[in-house]
Amino acid sequence: MRGAALPPALLCVALGLGLASARGQTAVLGLAVLVLTASAVALMPVPESWSDVAFLGCWMSIIASAAIVYAPRILQDRAALAFSLNAGVWTGALIALAPSKVGLLAALPFSLCAWPGAWVRRRGQAIGLNVIASWLIGVAVLAATLQFLPATAGYVPDHMD
Amino acid sequence: MTRCIAGTLRERSSALRPGRFSAATAMPIVFGAAAVTPAYGHSSTGLAGGFESGFSHPFTGVDHLLAMVSVGIWGAFLGRPLVYALPVIFPFIMVGGAILGMFSFPMPPLELGIAASVLVLGLCVCLAIQAPAWVACAIVAIFAVFHGYAHGIELPSAADPVGYSVGFVLATGLLHALGIGIGLLNALPKGILVTRSFGGAVAVAGAWYLARTLGL
Repeated sequence: MRGAALPPALLCVALGLGLASARGQTAVLGLAVLVLTASAVALMPVPESWSDVAFLGCWMSIIASAAIVYAPRILQDRAALAFSLNAGVWTGALIALAPSKVGLLAALPFSLCAWPGAWVRRRGQAIGLNVIASWLIGVAVLAATLQFLPATAGYVPDHMD
Repeated sequence: MTRCIAGTLRERSSALRPGRFSAATAMPIVFGAAAVTPAYGHSSTGLAGGFESGFSHPFTGVDHLLAMVSVGIWGAFLGRPLVYALPVIFPFIMVGGAILGMFSFPMPPLELGIAASVLVLGLCVCLAIQAPAWVACAIVAIFAVFHGYAHGIELPSAADPVGYSVGFVLATGLLHALGIGIGLLNALPKGILVTRSFGGAVAVAGAWYLARTLGL
């Protein structure tokens, strides 16, 4: 019971905060790449056996995307697009594994936090983004570690799944 | 079964008719509704996990709550950059502690560490200690391990560990923000007196927790 929309939503938030440090045009292009990639991958058949890899990829991507917030320099165009493509792949993969594709509609809007993030950054209050990024990294590290626990009662399928 | 429920509903609806409704009738319903908890048999395994459970966890333990708020207030006393650095450091180290808890890594008595954190952080606020940055970070980091460990022990048995993690990290961050908000009172006349008194009260609570843990 890992939740269908929560991990992709967290990844979209992390990417949105990361893109907040890119140029305006690049951020828009990055979000478009995210939406297109995620939609395309979500429609592809992803084997159930890839579930653990998809979740691990999602957590690693959250850590990487949220870490952009701490970079003092402006996010370069190519790097922004690469991060967006990566986030799109993992978001789409998780949605493809979920029983319903509706999670995509719930997750993708969270990437729009790039705009308030950019506004906050322009106001010189980037520390607020740093705090939120630290929370995201913390959650991702915890969730990734859970995958390596020998027995996680709430993590394995049960009669509710 | 269905007849029984229908009968009960009829009785309740007749009790709720205008003119027959009284405080005596309402009380059992109100308290009965308040006492309803999720059926654990249908909340997956272990804890009734998820975002709500994780979010409420730091608020339900007064020792946790006092320590988190004190971190924020102490940060406000220490000023920039620690006012922002401490709420960033705490979740990072807390996650490290949670991982130790998940793997049941041997640790000193947990309750002792948490009680000590309440006492020390309360004293730091009460005495308005202007510690060097590395000392402040070290104090907060050590106690963050204990608080994280306590969360980490429970995390694997949560029904929705990801939701639980998001909830408790967010709640912890909000408690720090609340502490920083209280620390803003320092800018007001006699505001420092209020915040330092709060720190004193937290330290007394910490001393009580510590005495109870040590069985004094």
